[in-house]
This record gives sequence, C-alpha cells and structure tokens, in this order.
Amino acid sequence: MSGVMSFEVFSGGSVTFDLATCAKCETKACVVACNVPNLACVLELKDNVPHLKVTQEEAKRGACIECLACELACMTDGIGGITFSLPMPEWDELIAGAAARGETPGFQRS
Amino acid sequence: MARLLEFEAKDLLRKTGIPVPPGGVAVTPEEAVAAAEKIGFPVVLKAQVPVGKRGKAGGILFAENSGEVLTRARELFGKNIYGYGVSQILVERKLDIAQEHYLAILSNPATKTPTLIFSRHGGMDVEEHTGGEGIATYNIDLLQGLRPYMAMDMLKGAGISGRALPALTQIAVKLFDIYRKNDCLLVEINPVAMTPKGPLAADARISVDDDALFRHPELGLDEGGEVGDRPRTQIEKIAALIDAHDHRGSAHFVQIDPDGALAKAEGKISIGFDGVGTGVSLAAMDELVPLGFLPRNFCDTSGNPTASKMYRITKVILAQPDIEGYVFISCLSSQQLDNTARGIVKAFLEIYPDRMPNIPCVFCFRGAWDETAIAMFEQHGLTRSPFIRVLGRDATERDVALAFRELHTGWRAQRTAGAQA
Repeated sequence: MSGVMSFEVFSGGSVTFDLATCAKCETKACVVACNVPNLACVLELKDNVPHLKVTQEEAKRGACIECLACELACMTDGIGGITFSLPMPEWDELIAGAAARGETPGFQRS
Repeated sequence: MARLLEFEAKDLLRKTGIPVPPGGVAVTPEEAVAAAEKIGFPVVLKAQVPVGKRGKAGGILFAENSGEVLTRARELFGKNIYGYGVSQILVERKLDIAQEHYLAILSNPATKTPTLIFSRHGGMDVEEHTGGEGIATYNIDLLQGLRPYMAMDMLKGAGISGRALPALTQIAVKLFDIYRKNDCLLVEINPVAMTPKGPLAADARISVDDDALFRHPELGLDEGGEVGDRPRTQIEKIAALIDAHDHRGSAHFVQIDPDGALAKAEGKISIGFDGVGTGVSLAAMDELVPLGFLPRNFCDTSGNPTASKMYRITKVILAQPDIEGYVFISCLSSQQLDNTARGIVKAFLEIYPDRMPNIPCVFCFRGAWDETAIAMFEQHGLTRSPFIRVLGRDATERDVALAFRELHTGWRAQRTAGAQA
C-alpha cells in the first residue's frame, strides 16, 4: 500500500494519511479513536488502512467534526501516519513580524 | 458590533427612500475639492471613522470655497480620531437647519423588542442635553412591524404636528425596514435636520448584529472591525477569523489590556486566559486579580467548540507578547471537554515540541468527559513539565488561582536563579 488518503475539513484545513505508514501500523488507533459514541465516525478500516466512509464533500461539510482524536491517538498509540493540518496564515504572519515590531510572543519569551 | 461608516449608512437610507443631503466620498484632498464643486458651496467635510463625537475631535469641518476645502481636507486626512486614521471624507452640502430631532430604532435588551426612540432635541450630546425630557419611545411588536399609525401616534405624543408629522412618520417606518432587512442592532438618525425642503438625515449610524454578518456580504462589513470604541488589535482580528466562518461553538476573544499598560500601571502580572463560559471567567478573574495577575485577554470558548477551534484560539492566546502564564478553566460544563482538551494539547505539542512550556500554565477541566481531558495531558507527556498543572472537577476558581500563583512563584524563582548563575 502506498500513496496518501486525504480530505478537507469545514474550518479550512486537511487531514492526510500516509498509507504506507498506516499499513505498517498494528493498532489502527485513528480508526478506533474515530469510532467511539461521542465522536463523529468518518473513518473505517479498508484494505488494512484508514478509509473515509463518507464522501469528501460530506467530510468537508462537517461530517468530520475536527475533534483531532485520530491525530492524537496516532501520536500515542500509532506510528505517526497522520497530519491534521489547520493553517493560520495570519497567525504565521503575526509571529514572523513580531521581532520587527519589537515584540516577543508569549510562547517565545526567554 | 459591526458598524457602517456614515456614508455607507446614508447610502442605505437613500436606497430606502429617506432623504439625505447631496454629497460624495473623497479619498484625496483633490477628490474632496471636485466633490464640493459638484455639490455647490458651502460644504461640510466629515471624517469617515466608525466612532461618535467626531465633531468634538475635530473630525467635522466647514468650507466656503475650493481653497478652503483643499486646506481642510488635507488637515482631516492627516488626523487620527479616537485611534482611527482618516482615509475617507464625506463631502456634503452645508444644510440650512431650522431644528434638529433625534430618531432611532434599537434592539432594546430591557424590553426584548426593537424600540423606536424620538427626541425633539437632536444633535451633539443629545443624551446629556435632553436629560430624558421630550423623549418618546415605542416598543415594536416584531410580528406586527411598525405601521405608520403607530409611529404617527408616538410622534404626535412627542409634540410633532403639521407637515413634519407625516414626513417624520415615513422616515420612522422606513428606518424600521432597514433595521429588519439588515439584522441591525441600531439604526439612528441624529440629527434629523428640519430644513425648508423637509426633513433630512444629516448624520446616520447603523450597527449590525455580528452574528448576522454572514447573511449580509453585500454590506461589506468586517467581523473583526472594532471593539467598543477602539479598532481591533491585529491579534483580535486573527481571533475573529476563527469564528467568522465556523459556527460550531465560540472562540470570543478580546484583549482587556492589549499592550499590557494596565497591568504595568497597577503593578500586576499579565497572563493569557481562556474560560469555558463568561460566568466562570469572571469568577476566576475575581480570584486571580487580587493575587496579582491580570488577564491580558478575555476569551470564551463555550458552546462545544471543535478541537480545531480550540487549537487555533490557544495559539492566539499564547502569542500575546510578554505574558507570564496561561490559565484555562471550564465551568461545570456540558460541552465535550475531551474535544476541548485535544485542541489545547495539539497547540501545546506544536508550540512546545519538548513538552516544556516556557511559562506557567494551569488547566482546570470540570464537566463532561473531564477525566478523559485530564488524562490526555498525561498521555502526551505534558504533565512532566514542572510548570503545567491540570486540575479536575473538585477544584474551585480559588484553587485554580492559588495553583497558578504557586507555579508562577516557582517559575519566577527559577528564572531569577538562572539569571544570577
């Protein structure tokens, strides 16, 4: 198994699964985390890798509730095949321009 | 609350059939001259900034000829009025005003209705000058709307008669039309100028409900436009974007002390803050402030926000310059605190890959899935840091504040020791 499985989410961003990595994962922790009663359940296991069980459009419309459970479960119990990307370009600009404004963001203070 | 500039508000009035003075908008002094020459002299030049009392701040000037327009316009374009730079000027014909009235429709929190307000005395400082005298109000039933006879009865009761009565009645009814169609919180004409040619809206203010802005892209209003009477800070604008296109839960963020000046003046320590609910936020601040900590921001992440929203707002809070700590506290919440925690944890793991925050942080989760939320901090190694403490449902606001003070004292001591070594 190779390639990626990826879908976009409502708030702007995307989830990407590196299927070669996921195929080697023994726990499939992302699928387990997604399929609990209080969450949304958009992932299933197919051909031994995570598979989106709703359409791309449905996922983007909000079927994926962006709970981040898949990514965090992958960090602790999986092998790091997931990237949940939530871009904030304005925030990136703010941080990049902080020094020029003579400011130090709180999380960068020494 | 999102607010239209005067010329934008008047454009809406004009389209609805409410008379406004002839005028034009200029973005350069030369354009102001051209507009004035087209309208005819004398003219008034009005700085277009989203705040009241512009006249007192020198934002409204008069001119008798082209030369004066050029001079006054140059003066206005260089001005800063209550924190807003002037980039647009409305040029209007100076009116021959016999009398000034006040007319408005506002969302009245006391009656939970739109309320029509009329005062025979309009103009600057209307609130102070009238002292309530000569003010008439009428609470509008939303199902019925504002019918002409309702407005006319009210105006008659306020002492309006003759030709002014039907003219003002028409304006009131049209004003309500604007209020309804645009989801307004306030539509105000002050003053309604009574001229020989009839009443005109000499100045207008229209504020739109922030939560309805998505329904009115045609108004071109920016959700992150202003906070009270000051422009939003850059960081507030970034925070506003998080909520702008995602209705799932809130991330209402406002800086109480944007540059930390208040904390400095009061000898307090500036910290980042996030609360699930405004009540718990106030209770927590009541405990933090006497201990010497002043939240730089208020933030309400309630209504079951997504973890992605929590991730983004946490990054925003932590980006505030020079904060010496971060406090998160939930009320006894029914929202899924595991989702809340996932967002915070992702933000912390990204910002602090070594799991070692540079400032003291206290988290308090109380409510649905709180134990799962707390466990997540342990699972991801964040509780290994001496400067992170995670509290649960038995903790009070006082406990949170005391825990934060203890961490902060240790953090300060370590920094001092490090500096001396």
